[in-house]
Amino acid sequence: MNRKLQNMAEQALIVSNIFIVFLLFFENQLIVPTWLQSVGRMHPLLLHFPIVVLLAAFGMEFFRFKSTYISNTFYLGFLNTLWLTGALLAAITVIMGLLLSKEQGYSGDTLLWHKWWSVGVLWFSTLFYWIRNAAWYKPILAKSMAATAALSVVMVGHFGATLTHGDGFISAPITQSAPVPLHEAVVFADVIQPIFEQKCVACHNSDKMNGELMFTDIKSILKGGKTGKLFVPGKPEISLLLERIHLPMGEKKHMPPTGKAQLSSQEITLLSLWIKGNADFTKKVTDLSPTDSLRIIASTLFSPVENTEEIYDFDAADESTIAKLRTAYRTIAPLARESPALSVSFFNKSNFTTEKLSELNAIKTQIVALNLSKMPVSDTDLKNIIPFENLQKLDLNFTNITGKGLKELTILKQLKTLSLSGTQLNFNDLQGTIGNFKNLKTITLWNTQLSVSEINKLQKARKDITFVAGFRDDGSNPIKLNPPQVKNSSTIFGQPILVQLYHPIKGTEIRYTTDGTMPDSIKSPLFNNQTLLKESASFRAKAYKTGWLGSDETTFDFYKSSFKPDSSHLLLALNRVHQAAGANTFFDGKLGTFSANSPAWANNWAGVRNNDLALVCAFKTPVLLSSVGLRIMEEVETGIFPPEFVEVWGGTNENQMRLLAKIKPSIPSKMRPHLLYAITGQFKPTTITHLKIIAKPLQKIPEWHGSKGSVALLLIDEMFLN
Amino acid sequence: MEKEILEHGLHFNRRRFLSTMSLGLGSVALGSLMVPHLLSGGDNDGTGFLPGIPHFAPKAKRVIYLFQNGAPSQLETFDYKPRLREMMGQELPPSVRGVQRLTGMTANQAAFPLAGSFTNFKQYGQSGAWISDLLPYTSKIADDLCIIRSMYTEAINHDPALTFFQTGSQQGNRPSMGAWLSYGLGNENKNLPDFTVLLSRGIGNGQGVYSKLWSNGFLDSVHQGVQFSKGEDPVLYIRDPEGMDRQARREMLDNLSELNELSYNEFGDPEITAKVKQYEMAYRMQTAIPEVMDLSKESDDIVKLYGPECLVPGTFAANCLLARKLSENGVRFVQLYHQGWDQHGNLPFEITSQAKDVDQASAALVTDLKQRGLLDETLVIWGGEFGRTSYSQGKLTIDNYGRDHHPRCFSIWMAGGGIKPGMVYGETDELGYNIQRNPVHVHDFQATVLHQLGLNHEKLIFKHLGRRYRLTDISGKVVRDIIA
Repeated sequence: MNRKLQNMAEQALIVSNIFIVFLLFFENQLIVPTWLQSVGRMHPLLLHFPIVVLLAAFGMEFFRFKSTYISNTFYLGFLNTLWLTGALLAAITVIMGLLLSKEQGYSGDTLLWHKWWSVGVLWFSTLFYWIRNAAWYKPILAKSMAATAALSVVMVGHFGATLTHGDGFISAPITQSAPVPLHEAVVFADVIQPIFEQKCVACHNSDKMNGELMFTDIKSILKGGKTGKLFVPGKPEISLLLERIHLPMGEKKHMPPTGKAQLSSQEITLLSLWIKGNADFTKKVTDLSPTDSLRIIASTLFSPVENTEEIYDFDAADESTIAKLRTAYRTIAPLARESPALSVSFFNKSNFTTEKLSELNAIKTQIVALNLSKMPVSDTDLKNIIPFENLQKLDLNFTNITGKGLKELTILKQLKTLSLSGTQLNFNDLQGTIGNFKNLKTITLWNTQLSVSEINKLQKARKDITFVAGFRDDGSNPIKLNPPQVKNSSTIFGQPILVQLYHPIKGTEIRYTTDGTMPDSIKSPLFNNQTLLKESASFRAKAYKTGWLGSDETTFDFYKSSFKPDSSHLLLALNRVHQAAGANTFFDGKLGTFSANSPAWANNWAGVRNNDLALVCAFKTPVLLSSVGLRIMEEVETGIFPPEFVEVWGGTNENQMRLLAKIKPSIPSKMRPHLLYAITGQFKPTTITHLKIIAKPLQKIPEWHGSKGSVALLLIDEMFLN
Repeated sequence: MEKEILEHGLHFNRRRFLSTMSLGLGSVALGSLMVPHLLSGGDNDGTGFLPGIPHFAPKAKRVIYLFQNGAPSQLETFDYKPRLREMMGQELPPSVRGVQRLTGMTANQAAFPLAGSFTNFKQYGQSGAWISDLLPYTSKIADDLCIIRSMYTEAINHDPALTFFQTGSQQGNRPSMGAWLSYGLGNENKNLPDFTVLLSRGIGNGQGVYSKLWSNGFLDSVHQGVQFSKGEDPVLYIRDPEGMDRQARREMLDNLSELNELSYNEFGDPEITAKVKQYEMAYRMQTAIPEVMDLSKESDDIVKLYGPECLVPGTFAANCLLARKLSENGVRFVQLYHQGWDQHGNLPFEITSQAKDVDQASAALVTDLKQRGLLDETLVIWGGEFGRTSYSQGKLTIDNYGRDHHPRCFSIWMAGGGIKPGMVYGETDELGYNIQRNPVHVHDFQATVLHQLGLNHEKLIFKHLGRRYRLTDISGKVVRDIIA
């Protein structure tokens, strides 16, 4: 070969190798322009040349040191040229291959093997092109190198062929039978038997009948083996076959034996479901109900799971057109990246006009989903939807359309889902048009004029459509109302107060009593928002409404508290965890609740256990006091008890107070549910400016209690002075 | 021969080397034409992700997550274990427990007596799913549910487990699932936040929820969850001050945006335009929020469907109803938390009350979405952060017991959003302690949720502090078996 030409070829070889390294390095980010894709596609055309040329070169290399050839300049020169040409062709082929591999449909292990073997062959032959002239390059190296290289070329070729023609292409005519389409597949023959064939037959056949069992045909399978029958139809849990499969791997009787290919969890499920379904030998997969697990799993074996995504064959709309149509109240979004299909939603009905809909004509081809729910859309607006030829999903819930408009929509041939809940649609309108919706799969009819029986009638006529009737209250399962609520911001009052009870559900009656009896729906007074309360009272109330069960009873305690001290302070500390708002807790007008989870618990209950509660209050102007009340919590179960006693001291001088009353509340004598109540001490009306309240926690929890003998916790949230 | 070798070596002089190398550089330059952005420093953050558009066509457009905070016991809800009743009071075999770490609350317990469920189970729907008597309404919609009984997590305590579920990391400071979706999918309704949070609590033993659970982490703050409160102002700070009418507000905003535009022209700071957009969004929310939050127009049927509590603000039922309304109005992710499921003791009483709080409304939500034709594009999820032990915490009596935290298996359900309806997935052993079939890790669950929304969890990436982050960290597998 001409020296100059050789130089150029060598340079080209180096350059291509660098280029290949580069491509491999940035392979993941590679985007191949279309014109280069055509170059890539010529890979299968070109690849035969380097294979042949390199094989020839490797062959000649093998014999190069033979005495006849070692001095033959033509042989050596030709070999050199052949080698260089082969390597260069290989480099070009590899580049094309790399380009081709970026196209869709090439992935997986075979591709990886093919790619790296070929790159290996290329680098190998490039490297040896230069070192094969070194002084230390000996015949033995040449021979082993040439043999290895030749073998590698064959491997590359093989992987490439597998990529193109698929695995087992050569052996296919001998081994494979035609695949069975789903509708012809028989559960046993096409789902179950193949499992046996792959995992069991090797040891259980007529030649090798381990355990006197054969999996080769139905008769043998039914017969079972030495230990007994393989299965009990309908009862996988006691079937020998599954027992053996489920035994732990270490067990001697586990099947298939350790070291053999095990069943996958899907195969086990299939076997178990098949036996559960009475181990039928003739049923087709499609004979099973569509929701049957066996059918669901089995059908995945016959149809590929991948690529369920819909492909749209229309062009994408112009990006600027879409951008112009987008507003805060009209969302237009592509279904997915690089998808031409658009989904449009309208929001906020006060911004809706007919023009907003007709403007969409600019993207009529691309709209596949349209949400007009709650928009003031009328029948005449629907003509603007007709041009949306690819519309599949239309939401018209709570719009003003009627059955007349519906007729127009039958033009939409792609329509699959139609939501009409909350419209004025009636049976006759729908019955007349439903037949013209050819591709419809789902229609929602909740809250329309159609009755359930009418919907069932339609459902019977059109089995291919799912009619959604939704929830309707037929009155057969009345549910209980929730109890009434109190709206007063505080139930503690100084001046007379208007009681505000209410119920969130419209049209509900509230009946109440204040005499401690249980309210009922007939005799008890009806609450009418006119009750003016002057004294403390306990309201027991229930809510009633026709079509509902009456609510549970609930109690609202209204406490009168005429005086509020101008200052108050504690003489002894509260429990560390029951601080609430300190001395201010007792006159803040806020009542505590039971639930320890609620913030109202920690904020409103002041508690003592290790010492007494000792509160001193002062009034700037003297008050005439005749009763003191303390609201307490009693939760016997957790050791919260009423106090041992409460002493009320009062006077006109902080240092000269006398005992006005001593209250001894009753202590529960058995376990009872928790309670909130006030304990009150009455005394002769006394004018005071200072007041001292001492409350002692119960010192000994009674005998019957689990924590008998220990000191109880005392919790107080509010005090009432009258 | 010698001469040739020498000559060959001489070919590789410096000039030759350089000229060849320059050709090599040229080939790199050629190659760079096919690698866009290689030399321009990379596209956005080098992750190749464009926020706002799904990777592929989604099955679900929105998520409503009914989080049962505190971890409901699977053994009293969806995982039926008759064997536990038979073995009531017997010691949990040490081989079942293995070397598992326990919480400090039961690790020092002298015995681990197995506790059977106090409540009965029946089979419902075509899948024959076993559901406890505590959930009568949920049982009725069994054919719409996909119950996963083989969930497992890595965390053993509430806060890390909850944070793990919501953000994919036990430590916090990462974006919440809702924030990731907001980032990945963008707005549907520009007048409402993408991600909203509603809280409620039952009377059972409760565990806290914190705003870090709906944090945007390192994502832009527009993706943060907005908590709606039950009071008069569901969203704080959007009400006009006293005496300002809408017209005045409009004029004020118009003038403000003129000033902002001047400022933008001068400095070119994109934050200025972002701010203007936020003001406009708040202005639109002023009308959109009251419309969504108004429950007074809901029909009697709806009230009956969700139960009467649905009109009492702050209850789980009311939040479910609101969730439907928000979702229907295009909110991508509505997160509910119902507190009070932490039954270490007194389980029979507390769980009955908790179940009553959520059963009717959860089922109602699914039914309501279905009757509006929205269930196929809305994914509803119900579940807690881990499971509970099959042995009793504290004393086991004939009618009372407690259960400790159990991360090895628990049950959740999903409905709609392209998940297979009427299906029970996964299986635990007969003592309800270990998973026997089809385990689903929290990251698998997250990957599946993202997949249903058209996002590839391996490609939903944000680069932060030099590292690329995902919701599923470095693992997670889409559970294809439960996809319709």
